[in-house]
This record gives sequence, structure tokens and C-alpha cells, in this order.
Amino acid sequence: MSSGRADAPAPSATGPASPGDTAASARTGAALALARRAFLDARVRTIAFAYVFAAYSYIQPVGYRDAYPTLSDRAAFARAFASNKAIRLFYGEPHDVLTVSGYAAWRVGGVLAIAAALFGLLAAVRASRAEEDAGRMELVLAGAIGRRMVNVSALAAIAAGIVLLWLAELAGFLSAGLPLGGSAYLALATASVAAVCVGVGALASQLAPSRRVALGIGGASIAALFLARVLADTVAELGWLRWSTPLGWAEQLRPFTGARPLVLLLPLAATAALLAAAARIAAGRDVGTGVLPARDSADPRLRLLSSATAQALREQRGTLIAWTGGVAAFAYILGTVSKSISPADVTKSVRKEIAKLGTGSITTPSGYLAFLFIFLILAVSLFVCTQVGAARAQEADGQLETLLAQPLRRRRWLAGALVLAIGAAATMALTAGVFTWAGANTAGAHVSLGRMLEAGANALPTATLFLGIAALAYAVAPRAGAPIAYGLVSVSFLWQLVGSLLGAPRWLIDVTPFAHIGLVPEQPFRAAAAAVMIAIGAAAALAALAAFQRRDLLGA
Amino acid sequence: MSAIRAESLTKRYGETLALDRLDLSVERGEVYGYLGPNGAGKTTTIRLLLGLHRPTDGRAQLLGVDAWGDPVSAHRRVAYVAGEPFLWPSLTGAETLVFLARLHGATDVTYRDLLVRRFELDTRKKIRALSKGNRQKVQLIAALATRAELLLLDEPTSGLDPLMEVAFRECAGEAKQRGQTIFLSSHILSEVEALCDRVGILRAGRLVDQGTLQELRHLGAQHVDVTFEGRAPELGPLPGVVVQRAGPNALRFEVSGGIGPLIAALAEHPVARLTSREPSLEEIFVHHYDDSARDVERPR
Repeated sequence: MSSGRADAPAPSATGPASPGDTAASARTGAALALARRAFLDARVRTIAFAYVFAAYSYIQPVGYRDAYPTLSDRAAFARAFASNKAIRLFYGEPHDVLTVSGYAAWRVGGVLAIAAALFGLLAAVRASRAEEDAGRMELVLAGAIGRRMVNVSALAAIAAGIVLLWLAELAGFLSAGLPLGGSAYLALATASVAAVCVGVGALASQLAPSRRVALGIGGASIAALFLARVLADTVAELGWLRWSTPLGWAEQLRPFTGARPLVLLLPLAATAALLAAAARIAAGRDVGTGVLPARDSADPRLRLLSSATAQALREQRGTLIAWTGGVAAFAYILGTVSKSISPADVTKSVRKEIAKLGTGSITTPSGYLAFLFIFLILAVSLFVCTQVGAARAQEADGQLETLLAQPLRRRRWLAGALVLAIGAAATMALTAGVFTWAGANTAGAHVSLGRMLEAGANALPTATLFLGIAALAYAVAPRAGAPIAYGLVSVSFLWQLVGSLLGAPRWLIDVTPFAHIGLVPEQPFRAAAAAVMIAIGAAAALAALAAFQRRDLLGA
Repeated sequence: MSAIRAESLTKRYGETLALDRLDLSVERGEVYGYLGPNGAGKTTTIRLLLGLHRPTDGRAQLLGVDAWGDPVSAHRRVAYVAGEPFLWPSLTGAETLVFLARLHGATDVTYRDLLVRRFELDTRKKIRALSKGNRQKVQLIAALATRAELLLLDEPTSGLDPLMEVAFRECAGEAKQRGQTIFLSSHILSEVEALCDRVGILRAGRLVDQGTLQELRHLGAQHVDVTFEGRAPELGPLPGVVVQRAGPNALRFEVSGGIGPLIAALAEHPVARLTSREPSLEEIFVHHYDDSARDVERPR
């Protein structure tokens, strides 16, 4: 985004003859300028996260109050869901779901803690390792500003971002009518997870020789911390594991349900320790290197170099394997717990309320899986947007210019990228189907493989639709394309959810494609709707190819 | 059929006029030097020639093929070296060369291996571990190894060390011998002077001068240094001649136009030594650049 724009340290600070005061104030000015630059560089991500935080912390309490107005409804809900292992896996251990605020603490706190962890990791790696990868760090350090100051500026910018998320979450709760004190405390619990993960990201950035490896190490660490929480919340004997992970600490803070503010010392101490360790390593190593050695030489491997599309697949292989592996693991776990809801747990009125969400009965394995596969459809739709983002990155980084100076048709390049995207999406969706089936059958729930494959394939019409739209947005507005697509997917998804909960008129809800998906395996596959979505997606993709053919390539 | 032909080629980016009605013709087998300061429009021209950007007005042809309308047919016969090497960080040098060769479709592998040795490139290293100069070598090797009819080179030696610059000049010279056309955008004047048959000078999107080095030199002033036996005389005013004192016995003349009047005037005095030097490309270049700077400063 920024290619070393000139908010660099003031050169006046370099004069050895200048009085100490002036030099010190110039350094402070430089540090502030750096912090501002870092904050602005991350603004798109910060705003996106803040939006999700505010929207989610508003929607969940409001939806709950609306769907479960009475105590008996909520008690039934608690019996059916709070003890359900699959649900605990996502949201953590509930302490009190009979009140709206207790529900918010469980449901919103649990999900946003994971989002906050990702935010912390991304922000820390972006601020340190990515800056070094791009060579900007050398430029900054060549000025009259030391590593410590650069580090402090970067952390200040990240801290400002976390404060913004805290405010967004707080604002969401307050608009939903939750009390101020408890809401502020709950949002703080979320923010504490972000802080610890900034520490994780900072340390990973010092260990790794490149941004990609730093994200890998950090991502694996967060996955391990998440796994510890999942085990603690689903296996009774492993409850103590909750004390080993910041995601568990956020639960132990017990917002709205008997607050234990002293637990805050744990994330505080962990953040300080991680940052101190990172700073210690940073002070002792060469700029641009990591503690782990980079593998810079290799024998040539000539597979997947035969065409631009093959090479794109080669570049993304690691990411695709990670996505598919993650989908497979989650699908298997969800399959194994699909049998754990029994009809006796859910009262008739509650069932009717859940049906409002558009899922049908969720007390049968197939109904339950149909409900969860809505989220697979969402994930696959977001995934195809990341693929369009990857295509744009090739253009922004100038590599597309290298490709198109060869005898390669523009249309062919873009079409290749789209085919790759839909192929990868299909792999992921079908993997989800197979592994859910395997998981369900291990647990003795009988769903057929064919139906689960169908449920997976059911994600593809929607993905095709959003891929076509994303490609068109990219072809017409290269820089804004992927963000527009992400926004459209998120809004369409929430549209259905919020609209259903608030009882909006049918025609208004019908605007979103998510309202037209047959919830396989509970409902039949809706071929007509799928055909319309594929047709619109294909038409948009064709328009994208035509528009892309006619515009200038655009650098970063 | 020209190798490159631009007719009234114009490119506007929003408010900025990057290229203003460029007329250009490069014949086959010619080495054409394209000179200009930073931001003059050199890279814009090349992007238009490659059909990466679309002309606002006018048109460009490569080897008789429309650059925007049918870039793929043109690119089969063209090789390009970008000023900034945009490659794939995770591929090694060898992998990059194989990939680019497969995309281009016509690479002389034996020649490529020879070039790798001449440019002393370690092909086992990943692109992300290479310095800019070494990444530039990867691009150059890939382009030269295609033996394309037309080489479009955008500041190809930026980042190369002097030894590698020499290697590049040798390779470019050989390409010329083989009859390949070279379009060399540069601001390294010695390189252009050594390689090019014809030169165009670009400034602020306009071609301000064009011709063989010989032709350009006639336009620039010739420098004549004269040492006299004894004190230098006072010469009366001469048309097209500027006189400067260069010591008690010496005068320096800047002669634009014919040298006849000066010779006639000098004939009456005891001349000990006379040396004459043609203007260097640098002087021509600076001359154009200074002129235009004065144009800009002049009040309207």
C-alpha cells in the first residue's frame, strides 16, 4: 500500500551539534509520525474488524432477546445448546444464558475473542516483519531513530487499533441496551486476547525470516491456544487447560456473571513477557533477518511452471492446503457431534424460533448439519474473494506486467485465475462434505455420503455468484475490487440473519442470495435458484473478462 | 515494415499528460536509444508499445502488429526487460528462467546457459534472496535467450555493476550483429553512445530531438581550443561563435553553425595548437534540457 511514503524521521534531528532538547523533541516527532503512518497503513483492516465487532455485539443480544423473550424459552435454550459440545467448541463455556448479558458474554465474547486474536497477530506481523521484508525498516532505521523507538511507535499504533475495537464492541453492546460497566468489562476481556496475540505476533516476527513464516508460526500458536480452550470446554477432566490460554482467560474474567478482574493480570503479564522477549531478540540481531535461518537456495523443481495458471497454483499451494486441512478438521469434528442434540432437549416454541433463521429443525443430525453448512457456504464465498484479492496482488506487485509482456492473453490469465478459484472452492466444499460424513458415521449418526457431497457442492452456486461479482468489481475498480466483494458477501449473509430475526418482509429478505439456498441435507437442493446464481455469476465473470481486456494495468 | 511505429501516440493519466503526440519509427536491425530524464515518459512509451496501457490517442505498431489490438502476436516476436524486475520471490533463478521460457515459447536453451555463465548468475538462489542487480540479470538473460526480433529494454543496466554492464554491452552488440532490433530506454548516456545508431530525446512527454549521433552533433556546438605563440589576440565578433579566455595564450570557442569564419579569423594569427572536439551526447542532452528549463521559466 505505502511504498515508503515520506513521513520519515525529521533530518534535523541528525545534527550532532544540535542541543539535546531539540534532538529529543525531533525524535518524539519522528516516533509520532511513524506511529501515525503505521496506524493509517492498517486502517482498512482496523475499520473492517471494528465493523464486525460493533455489528456482532449488537446483533447477538438483540436477536437473543427477540427469539427467546421469556425465561422458560431461555431455560430450554440453555438445556439444548449450552451443553452441546459442538456449540461450546465455537463459543466456549457458558456461565449464564438466562439473561441477555450473560448470553452476550458467552456468545459474543467467545467469537470476538478469536477475531481479536487474529487481529493482534496480523497487526504485529504487519508492523514488524512485513516492514522489514519490504525493506522500509532499513530506511527508517537509517534515520535518527533507534530500534526501540520504532518498536514503541509500532506498538502505539497497534494499541490505538485495539482501543478502537474495544470502543466498537462497547458501542454495539450499548446500542443493544446492555449496561455500561459490564459491557466495558466484557469488551476489555476481548481486547486482552488481542494484546496477548500482539505479543505472539511480535515474537513470531523475530523468530521468522519472512512475513509468511511469521504468520505461519503465529497462526499455529493461536490454533494451539484455541485447541487448548476447546479441550477445556468440551472435556470435563481437562477444564484446567483453560488457565493455559488467553482465550480461556477471557472466559475466566466472567463478564456479567461474577466478574473476576484479577484474572486480567494474566494477559497483562503474558503480553509484557512476550513483548520483552521480542524486544530482546530484536536488539541483538541483524535487520532483515530472523532467528530461524531463511532457506535461500534450492535445486530447481519444475513442476507447475507450464503456464501462468499452473504457476499461480504453485504459489498458492501452501495456503490452499492450509484452508482445505482446516475445513476437513472442522468438518470432521462437527460431524462427530451432529448426533448430540436430541429432540427432547428443545421445546416446540424454541424450535419454531430457530426455524425463523431458515434452518428447519436442528434437532436431527441432518437438520443440524444443514444449519452448520450455511457457514461453509459463507466461508467458501469469502474464500473466492481472497482468490480475486490474490490476482489483484499480482497486478499491484508488478508481476502481472512481467506475465503480460509475454505472449499471454489478458483474458486467458484472468479466466485461469477464476477457474483456479472455483476449482479450489470445489475441493474445499467437497472435502467438507466427505469429512462431515466420516465424522457423523464415526459417531453413529447416519447420513449418506451422497447427501453430504451434495451439501458441500451446494456451496458452489453461491461461490460462483460472488466470484463473478468480485471479478467484475476487480476488473472495473482494481484497487477496490476485493474489499467490495468481501463487503457484499458479509452484508448479504447478515442481511438474511438479521432480516429473519427482526421479521422483515419476505421480499426484502429475498434480496440476498443466502435466502435462496436449499439447506442440504435437511432440504432438497434448489436447482432453479442454483442455476440463476450460476448464470448471474458466469455473466458477471464474462463482463469482467471484457472489462479487464480494456483497461490499463494499475500498480500499487 | 518498421520494427516500431508510433503515430501521434498520446497517453493521459487523469490530469497528467504523460506522452504527447509521439511520432516514432524504428527500422528493423536498428539500435535506437531512447533518452530522457526521470519522469519524461520513457516507461509510459514502453507500456503503450507492449499494450499494457491503452493509448488515449494515436496508435503504436510492433513489427506491423497493432500494440493494443493484438499484443499476443506482437509479443511472440518481442522480448522485454523492465526497469524494475518484478519476479516471483519464492522461485529460484533457474525456475524463473524455465517459467518465462515456457511462457514465451521460443527460447534458445544453449544460449541461455551461456548467458547464465557470462552474467555469473547463481541460479540456485531464490529471487527473494537476490539483490536488485542480480534480479535484473535474471530478466536480461530471459529476454536475450529468446533471440526475439525486437528487444524492448527499459533501463536494463540499472543496478548492474560495471563488469556486468560490459557483459550487457557485448551481448547487445552481438544481438545487433544478428540483426535483432533493440529499443534501449536509458539515461546512461555512455551506454547509448556506445550502442545506438539513432537517438531520440524525450522531455515532459514530447520528443524534442531525434537523429543519428552525427546529426545531433551538428545541432550542438563544436568546441575549439586554440593555443597561440605568444599572447592570445583580440578577435572581433564572429557570427555563431562564442569566445572564452582559457589562459594567457589560449582561447576556447563554442562554434554553432559553420566553422569557416573562425578559421579565416585565426589565419591572421600565429596558432601553436588547435584541437576541436564534437559535443558529447551529454552536452546535447544537457543543452536540450537547459533550453526547456529556460522555456518554463520564461514569463508568459
